[in-house]
Amino acid sequence: MDDLGKIHQFIIHAFGKDFTFNVETIVMSWIIMALLICFGYFAARKKSIFPGPLQVVGELFVTQLFGLAEDALDKEMARKYGPLVCSLFLFLLLCNSFGIIPVCEEPTKDLNTPIAFGIMGFVIAHYAGIKTKGIKGYLAEYLEPFFIMLPLNIIGELAKVVSISFRLFGNIMGGAIIILVVSHLTYSVLLPPFLNMFFGFFVGTIQAFVFTMLTVVYISVQVK
Amino acid sequence: MDFEIQTWVKMSAFAGGGIAMGLGAIGAAVGEGNAAQSANQAISRQPELSGEILKTLLVGQAIAESAAIFALVVAMTLLFSTFSADSIMVSVVMSAGLAMGLGAIGSGAGSGLPAGSACTGISRQPKMSSKITTNMLIGSAVCQTPSIFALVTAFILLFTTFSGRPVSPTWAAIMGAGLAVGLASIGSGLGGGLVAEKSCEGIARQPNSSGSTTMLMLLAQAVTQTPTIYGLLVAFILLFKSSPAADSIAPAIALLGSGLCMGLGAIGPGWGIGYSGGMAVRWSARNEKAVTDITKVMLLGQAGVSSTAIYSLLIALVLIFIA
Repeated sequence: MDDLGKIHQFIIHAFGKDFTFNVETIVMSWIIMALLICFGYFAARKKSIFPGPLQVVGELFVTQLFGLAEDALDKEMARKYGPLVCSLFLFLLLCNSFGIIPVCEEPTKDLNTPIAFGIMGFVIAHYAGIKTKGIKGYLAEYLEPFFIMLPLNIIGELAKVVSISFRLFGNIMGGAIIILVVSHLTYSVLLPPFLNMFFGFFVGTIQAFVFTMLTVVYISVQVK
Repeated sequence: MDFEIQTWVKMSAFAGGGIAMGLGAIGAAVGEGNAAQSANQAISRQPELSGEILKTLLVGQAIAESAAIFALVVAMTLLFSTFSADSIMVSVVMSAGLAMGLGAIGSGAGSGLPAGSACTGISRQPKMSSKITTNMLIGSAVCQTPSIFALVTAFILLFTTFSGRPVSPTWAAIMGAGLAVGLASIGSGLGGGLVAEKSCEGIARQPNSSGSTTMLMLLAQAVTQTPTIYGLLVAFILLFKSSPAADSIAPAIALLGSGLCMGLGAIGPGWGIGYSGGMAVRWSARNEKAVTDITKVMLLGQAGVSSTAIYSLLIALVLIFIA
């Protein structure tokens, strides 16, 4: 129970400032990235018309997620943002269910990871908006419906980053806390594996999907 | 009567545990009752499906109960843990209980709604029962998010050390944080339930559209949670922004008021966004050609509703920073 909310930190003093690194989060993210790169490499190594098992899984993800992007954006845009959608979903999916493996921790349990992805989505969406509407059309949207609404519109946009990242963080952190507390109360008998399945696979998949969908929707709102 | 601080903390923990479980029982009970009511109706319409409907009802009720179980976990922790004898802990344990108790109301009541409409839907489309049940499970699980936020706040409260900070405004910041998350969860939990209920109904009417309906449901439910997330944000700012010691009561009341402002201000938007999302999901199932337009109108409507939550957020932030 005592390790609840504790983070192993690695602090470097340089240039008169402290640079803090959350060791577990970084190492786990790197492991997940390596796994994904391996998966991509082996899925696409022997491409054939009779696909191997890995190629089938890869094709399934790519067609489904590209279809998702096509529904929200148009066809041309979907080709551009499809790879982003695929990699975001796969990365978050692995991140959220990584805590099932003993010793491993979910990188999304650390608020820094979801906020980084939230800011990434925000920047991409606004870049896409400026590119399609031009800087004038983009800025004019902030004055709608009246020019007095300018501060509220800005807060509304910034609140999107907060809401998307806190949603992911809260769910994954909540799951981890429940598993920890229930394991403590029941001396790790019987219940924790079911909870791991529920919060790791089920909630983790749903939240990865919700995060990806919202990023696509934020882009499509800016583009249209 | 003259009590030591240890006794005060103990008393507050007992009261907090009672509040957590007492309030936490309200929502889940209402939600499960609603599910059972619809199941009865469904069985009287299709008596030969009683086994299938009963199974769905039990699964749905089990998920709807999880908010109450979170409250039970927090209540047990409050009753059986020993807390340090620090006067700030009196406020911490009470606030953790309030946050979890209030936070379980909305999710419990909300996640009973999809279970009920899934039972009705199965009596209408017996062949689609597995699709309807899957959709109900996803919808009810996402409904739990507000209560999970309340749980996170309760445990962060219990396991953060506040001992180095001045008691005078900090006690109010802690109470405010609990109230902000707890109250804000009520509306979002109910709203998420409304969306999931309508999506089960939509799939039962038009089984072919189940994939796109489930996706739109997830999107709509995610938007209903936005007010709760503002509550969570205000709670985090209240907890982690250290304020200077003050002799006057005014800064403390400002911090408490900021939590109340965000919490109460988020109830309506969460609920309202749920209405908008629910109707959009229900009709998008029946009118697949218009899904793009329906989604656009839904998001615009929800943006309009959530502007009132943004006003509350603004006032809450102003209150924190002028305190």
